[in-house]
Amino acid sequence: MHLPQMGYDRAITVFSPDGRLFQVEYAREAVKRGATAIGVKTKDGVILLADRRVASKLLEITTIEKIYKIDEHIYAATSGLVADARVLIERARIEAQINRLTYDEPISVKDLARKICDFKQQYTQFGGVRPFGVSLLIAGYDSSPRLFETDPSGALLEYKATSIGAGRSVVIEHFENVYRDDFTIDEAIIEAMIAMGKAIESELKPDGIELVVITKDEAKEITGNELNKYLEKANEKIKEEISKE
Amino acid sequence: MSMQKTKVELKYLILKPLGYPLKASYHEYPVVDNPKVFDRYAKDQWKGEFVSKGMLLFDMRMFPDFAFEVESSEPECGIISESTIILVEPANREIETEIVTNVKLGDIVGQEEAKRKVRVILEYLKNPEKFGKWSPRNVLFYGPPGTGKTMTAKALANEAQVPFISIKSTKLIGEHVGDGARRIHELYDRASQLSPCIVFLDEFDAIALDRSYQELRGDVSEVVNALLTELDGIESREGICTIAATNRAEMIDQSIRSRFEEEIEFTLPTYEERIEIMKKNLVDFPLKVKAKISEVARFTEGFSGRDIVEKILKSALHRAIAEGRDYITTEDMLKSITKKASKTPPKNMFV
Repeated sequence: MHLPQMGYDRAITVFSPDGRLFQVEYAREAVKRGATAIGVKTKDGVILLADRRVASKLLEITTIEKIYKIDEHIYAATSGLVADARVLIERARIEAQINRLTYDEPISVKDLARKICDFKQQYTQFGGVRPFGVSLLIAGYDSSPRLFETDPSGALLEYKATSIGAGRSVVIEHFENVYRDDFTIDEAIIEAMIAMGKAIESELKPDGIELVVITKDEAKEITGNELNKYLEKANEKIKEEISKE
Repeated sequence: MSMQKTKVELKYLILKPLGYPLKASYHEYPVVDNPKVFDRYAKDQWKGEFVSKGMLLFDMRMFPDFAFEVESSEPECGIISESTIILVEPANREIETEIVTNVKLGDIVGQEEAKRKVRVILEYLKNPEKFGKWSPRNVLFYGPPGTGKTMTAKALANEAQVPFISIKSTKLIGEHVGDGARRIHELYDRASQLSPCIVFLDEFDAIALDRSYQELRGDVSEVVNALLTELDGIESREGICTIAATNRAEMIDQSIRSRFEEEIEFTLPTYEERIEIMKKNLVDFPLKVKAKISEVARFTEGFSGRDIVEKILKSALHRAIAEGRDYITTEDMLKSITKKASKTPPKNMFV
């Protein structure tokens, strides 16, 4: 929880005397309220794994989308305010199409991420608006696998493995210990699942997660039997990890 | 009264000055100047006296026939002996000394983390020497209202059989400059007299306000500084455990907060805990209970222990009595549930 900061948190365009923009920092708290999403880069491709929180059993599960397709070779995972996420995803898709129409080639992952961040940054510097309460993990394959994380301030960083949402610190701690540059995609998926299990402190269910794998040749969502195969392996390890604590 | 009971020696005796049987204009109203001297003086004249709650003791020497009432004692009745600690409540009653007898740790549902820490403090209060400089001294209880912070502190005093000294934080501010700080020091002076004991500061955010707000409430800063010196313990305050309770831990001054070795969060009860709270409170319920408790528990998410007792059980009881029934139903209880503002934002807003 935060202290109201003597009025410096009322307007996004006002710096506090020690140089902070409180509204933007609060927007990052909104991101922390979102479910965890994880991205891992390997030499062959990138994976995105997201925790899908189902608030009620009456919900149609497919309506809870955490990972969106932006273009043939780019996916983005979101965490934070749903509505803000939708707007950004829409924007990203348009940017991807603009690039195709203008240059007749798919947009590079970095350009796309930068466009999104330019857009987000605008909402931290002008009056009458509020920042986006959402972070994106933008994963794709152009000449090589790429993985970017954007935050509400419009900051843009590329990672080998990262996470956004409620379980961020747990996941990052996990990957700081286990990450290797020579991960295969399968290994990356299993590690991401273990990290996710640690973050949500329970075993994973096929309905409770979304998984996307992006390689040079294809980008696809993993579902059904293929997903279950990974889950079985990961859940064993998760069980061990949870019982350890 | 059996003979055996009269032989029990009192550990603590708390007196309240009452006054003279008759009063004339030349009578002075005496106040205790030095507690240590008074303790000796009182024993000299009252040693061997059998007392119990509500009894009167008359001064025989300096102010003949000035009466003191026995406010409370530990154990409940017994004789005043050489080792009895005799205390007089000041007339203005800012600092309250209490011998708690009615709450036990077992009465508290849930709050496992708090109970664990409390057991350490219990051990410490029983033998302070064992801990030396590693003693648990200052503990901060925080959490939503009605989750049992005060109750836990009282239960601790009861189980450890030590006095429970409390001061209303609001009494520390708002009068003359310097009063607040003086009272803090008085509080700890009294505590060191009674040690081992528990000092309980309720609504702690009122007096330990963050410094950035002290511009608004300048009078608070002297209290903060007084607290800092006491909590830090330049003088060795052995056997005193300070427990502060607040609903808003984030409002507390950082320098004070750092003096609390442990911050214990009190949480709202879970579904199972709510059932248990209701069961515990329904044991001595005046009416028959024809209600499905599990059903009520399901609809009371976000309710604290106090909410459940006050808002659900009590109002259900009143409703049933008003309608002339001798039982309460699930319906009575559910009607009492007014929609409570959820503290977490709607989940649907976030992915």
